[in-house]
Amino acid sequence: MPLRDLPIRRKLILLLLLTSAVVMLLMRVSFFTYEYLTFRRETIRQLSTLGEVIAANSTAALAFDNQDDAREILAALKANRHLVAAALYDGSGKFFAGYPAARPVTAFPTVPGGAGFHFEQSHLSGFQPVTQRERRLGTLYLQLDTGVVMREWLWGSLQIALGLMAVIVGVAYLLSRALQKQVSQPILALAETARAISERKNYSVRATKLGEDEIGRLTDAFNQMLDEIQVLNRDLERRVVERTAQLEAANKELNRSRAVFESIFESLPGLFLVLKPDLTIVTASDAYLKATMTTREKMVGQNMFEVFPDNPAEPDATGSSNLRASLERVLATGTTDNMAIQKYDVRRPDGVYEERYWSPVNSPLLGVDRRVEYLIHRVEDVTDFVRQKPAQDGDPDAMRIKLEQMEAEIFQSSQKVQASNQQLRSANAELEAFSYSVSHDLRAPLRHIDGFAGLLGKSDGKQLSERGRGYLAHISDSARQMGTLIDDLLVFSRMGRSEMNLGPVDLRQLADETVQAIKRQEAAERKIKWELGALPVVHGDRPMLRQVFVNLIANAVKYSRPREEAEIEVGLFDEPEEWVIFVRDNGVGFEMQYAQKLFGVFQRLHRAEEFEGTGIGLANVRRIITRHGGRTWAESVVGSGATFYFSLPKNPGIKT
Amino acid sequence: MKSLRRIMLVEDNLNDIDLTLAALEEHHLANEIVVARDGAEALDYLYSRGKFAGREDGPPAVILLDIKMPKVSGLEVLRQMKSDPALSTLPVVMLTSSREEPDLAASYSLGANAYVVKPVDFQQFVDAVRQIGVFWAVVNEPPPRNAIK
Repeated sequence: MPLRDLPIRRKLILLLLLTSAVVMLLMRVSFFTYEYLTFRRETIRQLSTLGEVIAANSTAALAFDNQDDAREILAALKANRHLVAAALYDGSGKFFAGYPAARPVTAFPTVPGGAGFHFEQSHLSGFQPVTQRERRLGTLYLQLDTGVVMREWLWGSLQIALGLMAVIVGVAYLLSRALQKQVSQPILALAETARAISERKNYSVRATKLGEDEIGRLTDAFNQMLDEIQVLNRDLERRVVERTAQLEAANKELNRSRAVFESIFESLPGLFLVLKPDLTIVTASDAYLKATMTTREKMVGQNMFEVFPDNPAEPDATGSSNLRASLERVLATGTTDNMAIQKYDVRRPDGVYEERYWSPVNSPLLGVDRRVEYLIHRVEDVTDFVRQKPAQDGDPDAMRIKLEQMEAEIFQSSQKVQASNQQLRSANAELEAFSYSVSHDLRAPLRHIDGFAGLLGKSDGKQLSERGRGYLAHISDSARQMGTLIDDLLVFSRMGRSEMNLGPVDLRQLADETVQAIKRQEAAERKIKWELGALPVVHGDRPMLRQVFVNLIANAVKYSRPREEAEIEVGLFDEPEEWVIFVRDNGVGFEMQYAQKLFGVFQRLHRAEEFEGTGIGLANVRRIITRHGGRTWAESVVGSGATFYFSLPKNPGIKT
Repeated sequence: MKSLRRIMLVEDNLNDIDLTLAALEEHHLANEIVVARDGAEALDYLYSRGKFAGREDGPPAVILLDIKMPKVSGLEVLRQMKSDPALSTLPVVMLTSSREEPDLAASYSLGANAYVVKPVDFQQFVDAVRQIGVFWAVVNEPPPRNAIK
């Protein structure tokens, strides 16, 4: 296993061991070097001491030229087994004696060298002067075999070194095993946490921080990262949930609208069949299924001509081939193809063929690439028409011409309607301008007449005769009356022109308000028994409908004035199609033969001296009710009261 | 009794001027009345220009403004006054024959302070003019002078 793949724990132990071993080794090497040098120095020193001793001992032998003594002295060197050769030279440098005795003279250096010992390969050798009282007697030669000594020393040193190493490495191993935990534990804990998170995807787990060192900071950073991941994760999950919900809602809506569109298509009042370009059936409208006496399940996915074959009893039938040709034209040109009326026998479920006449139109449904994606086959079942008119219009082409003529007529009359609408609009605009001008310009002279008549009466009234003052009063009265007429006319005109603001109107509330208003004014001194029934909430223009109640109730109050106790009732008939509201009084009434005149402009059945008024109120009522799509009428018995009715449709198609 | 402030009457019809002045006189409200005969003259007066150049008696307390007039209509005068910060605080009472909704709507949307329809009945007319005169020239506190440049 390569070092980098080792577990951190082992890596740390190994690292510590290696470090201590190397340090140990380096120390050992330097120590060894030191020891080696010391060893050499010591050896030289020992040899030179031995040399001095031997030299001192051999002065006599040299001085007396006694070779045997010299040999004896040298033989004593035997005690030192590492000393391999020794020799004495006399004062003239001539070989005197040697050790071991058996060694040939030639094996020794022929002449003595300078004083001092030197290492030479595996030997230490050198010369020692032999002197006595400053007199040089000769020279001693010594040769020590250092190889063996060195080997022994080396071996001992190595043993110590190895032993020490083993102990140190062992101790280092134990120490590092114990101490590496300080470093590896937090890392391992962090790694364990990370592994747990990646395996279980649990982002709420946090690594435990064991110290403030780099690993502690790493743990902090890791936990912070986890926080962020958790937030992100939560956000992501929330968004996934939201998006899923949106998708589901959109899907639902899509399915719903798809279902709606399908059902819209299926319930289209026409006979529709949708085909793929290979003439297999995609779907059909319910009307088509009904006309062809089949079901959707039996035809969808089938080829059109297998579902609707020609009547085999009629070998000359051309329906299928004509239709096929038409569909192919649509496919080729991408445009709608109108077919002539076809006799096409429909096969009933019992297998019997029924004669039908169809007017088919085939149109393409183009895709984005302008290629025909679907064919829409629409047919008009004209069987009844063909059968009714066989005498005059046996030829279907003649019928087509007639149809075209009718269409042209309809177009022309719609043009006429548009033209008269335009005329109506400009007439309305003129009326608007007219009443604006009436409002401004017609009232002014009347005001002046009344004004100056009043001023005249004030300044010179006393000089006028009684009759003159009467005339002035008449002038004023007439001017004021004309002013009232103009005002009423303007209101009437406005009722016909102004836009209707339609909304729900509580009629009972309107009636209550009107009665309250009238009670405060005219009816204050009158004795009136009011009877207000339940009234509906209708769809209409509130101010206009209030005007209706004001006019009808005010009329009832006015024409019941001669009664000591007036009785006025507002009530309702709930008819199937409409509401009928009535206002009934026990007043003077009118003759039924004039009932129709009542609702005309300025139509009055009483003289102004009897009952004041301009005769515009009921005309307003009729105009308002008519604009609401209702009717107005009245019933009366002279002397015992009148009832005024108006109706409002429950399902209003109001003309505005 | 408070002192009377100046009333300005903008009216093209002589008869209406006579009747309005008579109504004001009847209630002693007519000691200082300026009459402009059309919208252009009214604006000249208000801006102290044309034949009113150099006028130094300040703005009137109220303007009684007719709508239908030659040259510049009452609605145009109103529009110019209310769009000019120097005149927009001056009270304007529309005094007109018309009760037509478009006139009413236009007047109020342009910022008229009141809208009075001249009644045909002279006595009612006198009453109306008196009420206007008393309210605007006596009761009502006009905008401070420095609000009108």
